[in-house]
Amino acid sequence: MTSMTLPYTVLLLVVAVIATPALAGTLRRNTGWVLAAVYLAAGAVFLPAAARVLDGDVMRWSMPWVPSLNVSFALRADGLGVVFTYIALVIGAVVLCYASRYLEAGPPHRGFFLVMASFTASMVGLVLADDLIVLFICWELTSLASFLLIAQGGRGGQLASMRTLFLTFVGGLTLLIAVALIVLRTGTTTLSAALADPIWSTDPAFTSVVAVLVLTAGFTKSAQFPFHVWLPDAMAASTPVSAYLHAAAVVKAGIFLLMRFSPAFHATPVWNVALITVGLFTATLGAWFALQQLDLKKLMAYSTVSQLGLIVATIGVGTQAALAAAVLHTIAHALFKSGLFMMVGVIDHAVHTRDLRRLPPLAKAMPLSFAVTALGAASMAGIPPLLGFVSKESLLGALHGAPGPAWTGWVALIAAGFASVLTFAYCTKIVFGAFIDGTTDPAERPIHPTERLMLLAASLPILASVPLGLIAGVFDIPLTQAVRAALFGSYPDPHVALWHGITPELVVTLLIFTVGAMLIATRKRLFARLEHDSLPFDGAQAIAALVRSLRRAGLAVVRLVEADNPSRHLTPILTVFALVVLVGVGGLLREGALPQPVPGLSRPIDGVLLVLVTGAVFVACVARSRLTAVVALSTTGILATAQILALGAADVALTQLLVEALTVIVVMLVLQKLPVRFGPTPPARRLGTATLAAFVGLAAGAGTWALAGRRPRSELAHWYLSEAPDISGGANVVNVILVEFRALDTLGELSVLGMTGIALIAVLSTVRDRELDPHPTARTSGQGRAMNRWQSTPDLPLRARHTPAYRAIHESWGNVVGLQLMLRLVGPLLIMVSAFLFWRGHNSPGGGFIAALVASAIVGLMYLSTSRDRAIGPPRLPIHLISAGVLVAVVAGFIGLIFKGSFLQPIHGHVGAVHLTTAMIFDAGVFTAVLGLVMVAFNLLGTTQLLSAEATRERVDQTVEGKLPGPLETVRGERAHPRPKRSENGRRVGVGTAFLARDRQPREPGRDTDVPSKEESR
Amino acid sequence: MIISATIAVLVGGGVYLLLARSMVQAVFGITLISHAANLILLLSGVPAWRGEPLADRTDPALAGDPLPMAFVLTAIVITLAVTVFMLMMAVLGHNDDTRRTPATGETRDR
Repeated sequence: MTSMTLPYTVLLLVVAVIATPALAGTLRRNTGWVLAAVYLAAGAVFLPAAARVLDGDVMRWSMPWVPSLNVSFALRADGLGVVFTYIALVIGAVVLCYASRYLEAGPPHRGFFLVMASFTASMVGLVLADDLIVLFICWELTSLASFLLIAQGGRGGQLASMRTLFLTFVGGLTLLIAVALIVLRTGTTTLSAALADPIWSTDPAFTSVVAVLVLTAGFTKSAQFPFHVWLPDAMAASTPVSAYLHAAAVVKAGIFLLMRFSPAFHATPVWNVALITVGLFTATLGAWFALQQLDLKKLMAYSTVSQLGLIVATIGVGTQAALAAAVLHTIAHALFKSGLFMMVGVIDHAVHTRDLRRLPPLAKAMPLSFAVTALGAASMAGIPPLLGFVSKESLLGALHGAPGPAWTGWVALIAAGFASVLTFAYCTKIVFGAFIDGTTDPAERPIHPTERLMLLAASLPILASVPLGLIAGVFDIPLTQAVRAALFGSYPDPHVALWHGITPELVVTLLIFTVGAMLIATRKRLFARLEHDSLPFDGAQAIAALVRSLRRAGLAVVRLVEADNPSRHLTPILTVFALVVLVGVGGLLREGALPQPVPGLSRPIDGVLLVLVTGAVFVACVARSRLTAVVALSTTGILATAQILALGAADVALTQLLVEALTVIVVMLVLQKLPVRFGPTPPARRLGTATLAAFVGLAAGAGTWALAGRRPRSELAHWYLSEAPDISGGANVVNVILVEFRALDTLGELSVLGMTGIALIAVLSTVRDRELDPHPTARTSGQGRAMNRWQSTPDLPLRARHTPAYRAIHESWGNVVGLQLMLRLVGPLLIMVSAFLFWRGHNSPGGGFIAALVASAIVGLMYLSTSRDRAIGPPRLPIHLISAGVLVAVVAGFIGLIFKGSFLQPIHGHVGAVHLTTAMIFDAGVFTAVLGLVMVAFNLLGTTQLLSAEATRERVDQTVEGKLPGPLETVRGERAHPRPKRSENGRRVGVGTAFLARDRQPREPGRDTDVPSKEESR
Repeated sequence: MIISATIAVLVGGGVYLLLARSMVQAVFGITLISHAANLILLLSGVPAWRGEPLADRTDPALAGDPLPMAFVLTAIVITLAVTVFMLMMAVLGHNDDTRRTPATGETRDR
């Protein structure tokens, strides 16, 4: 039953995550205490399993998760898991205690605690995972948590967090590829089974590829060159985050990964070489950069980079001693580095700066802090008898045993020694720079008293390294188990102690100390000379340059397929289409494979229409005036309607006719904002286009001639004609097909309509008014300021004000009075016609779509009957219509699903003698959505800015949302002001006639979209 | 079959307009091509039978194939939606897409 402690441990941490927001709401920063207690409790819960592991057992627990993929939520505790779990829990508890004093007292810090708790849960999940998928997910969760915590770090954190995310996700991707490859080749997602697979020794190529992928992932997380740039960036996060994630946990996840995969790769040359060289290079580079820093926290970050480099290099050695040393140094580093980070926070709190140039000498004012920091730095520098000394000794010893010829060991040892000299130097800089050498006058920078609890929490991990160094032997057992987990089948016998006799590494250490002592003596001059950047750019700039060049490369690729001119794409497609069809038809003809056409395919009316269509299409093509083109186009449309009617499709013809009318109106709305004529086309281009067009037209005609009309009506046609009326109770087979048999098609069509309306709003609301309105240069009007600015004043000399000619142009409201009057009569008629068409749709030509088009005519008439462009209907009505339409149609579908077991299957019934069906509900949905789209099109495309108007918002937003309060920002979903009462304009045309006597504009339908209300009463 | 000639004319004119630089002309071209496409669809119902498929009025032996008609009806509606959308695209900016992409007023996504 001990194995159950694994899930309980994780569960406890997950429960903590869930409870955190509520806790933070009440306990504020003291939530840290609770979380710390939970972590310690989790550590206690885990203890039985840990004890068994230290005895040499392995604990497993698993639960099926995605059985179809054989993925299970599997946990497994071995030596590595135990060590890293306790690092995460213990350091986490200490840091959270610290945070509960470090954080500001007021706000709840919900985000901070929530992400911290999530991080711990995912970190423990990561180190205990025994399933590759679980491992990967936890890995990414830790990346995300790190990203979020950095992003919370205020202004500087935003960009830094993005860079961190970018780099760590590169590693996430390589890990994902590695996981996929491993699962593919070994056939199991169980981590321990995959690592024990014989494939790692039998297929060196595959092993190398996966090794590179895994080590890249590890490098990104553990900030190894060239991915190290994110760690200094991450210092934008608050100090507890740095102390926990960026010293002990997140960066150690990379170390953990490398150790976890060591069983598979420890003997792979590419693994050894990459880890050792990159690790040692990073160690040196990080230490060098650390020396140049003036910000204590940045210094710590680079020092972490450097220390991690040493650990990575040691893992790369891959021997038992090396892995033991790496684990030991991971523990030691987690202790002293998290403590040192917290000490930086203590200093920051005390003097409100971390800049070495601004720090006063703090040693006297803060003796305790001085002592603790000095101890921590000494541990990092590897001074006996601290734990840091023991671990560094073993690191050096392990590196000396690097694989390959004998000189590699020496080279590694010397490189590590050099890095350690630099380490010694920056440790000196930390202690002396912060506490002794400060040049700022203490009077200038008052030193605030430190909260004791904060200092206590910060010193705990550092102080722990003193006794642990003396009794280093206690690490023997955990190290044994950890190494057994990192090297399968090994029987390590690590012996950790302060004194090993005179060894090469001891000699190197002594050399380091000698140089270090000289450094201390010459520190003031030396450090000052180093404090400048040795490279002309930093990591952030490097990443920015990388992104820039990627974008440039992307643009270069895009240029090949850029769609700035459709004919570039269309010409080849159309040419190939024409060739295929013509060659195919030619082949069929020569083979004589075409069956005889059915007799009676053509009627005389077809010929008449052909002649007319030819003329209309010709005019549409050659017209330079847009208006001419529109007339020709609508003529073609009417002729096509006639052709459809001649083919017997009454419903289709009716629809086509109405659509044609609507299209023409929308085209006119658009054209009023565009130049009067089409731009000129060079004759050569015209000729080329005409040739291609003729070619494609010929192909289309030939294809149709060859392939259509050579068989009798289909079986399906017979079936529909004979069965559909009986099944559905409707005589109009086409309508019945639309709303019953193939209603899903219609639902799709309906959604397309609705989406078009939404897309119109979405696109137009991103566009400024000035881009929608006609070009300002078109405003040539010299007189008549009230005129719409895009209409040039006629060249006629106009007569004086108050003459009919003047008014006809400038006070146009009188022109539309007739239409308004007619609307009052035609409107109700159209509503009745629409209702009638809707009702009879099931048996005769008609139906929801046609009815909606007729109803749209009312909208169109209302729009036309206004003297200025006005939006029709209340704001948001079109959106509501569209959504209601789609919703009603879907609900009608579900009615069928629930009562008949098939989506959209209609239910028939009779109420008295009247035949009713749920298909009519569906049809109502169609009706509503179509009406909504038409209103969107009219309101958005039809309105233009008036000269006199001083709009406060972009017009599209006003049109869609109603009059919006506040400044220019677009606000979606904001509630509009209550509509002002419309009274000032008097009554509508046809209701009253006072406007005739008073010469005042009567009220018009619709609403202004951009004219302030006082303008209306002018 | 005469209608195939009509289709040829419509497609030819449509392609000619589609390849023009102006967005509005391209929209007109699409409209013509969609007329042609609708006719082609209807022809698949064999135009030798041209009776309206209304069960209570037409002899089923003479009625046209209703299925292509339903398809065409759907196609017309979608053409309307597409046309309106493309016309909206044409109205952005001041020059009918003949010269430059209109500034949207938003800062470019860098």
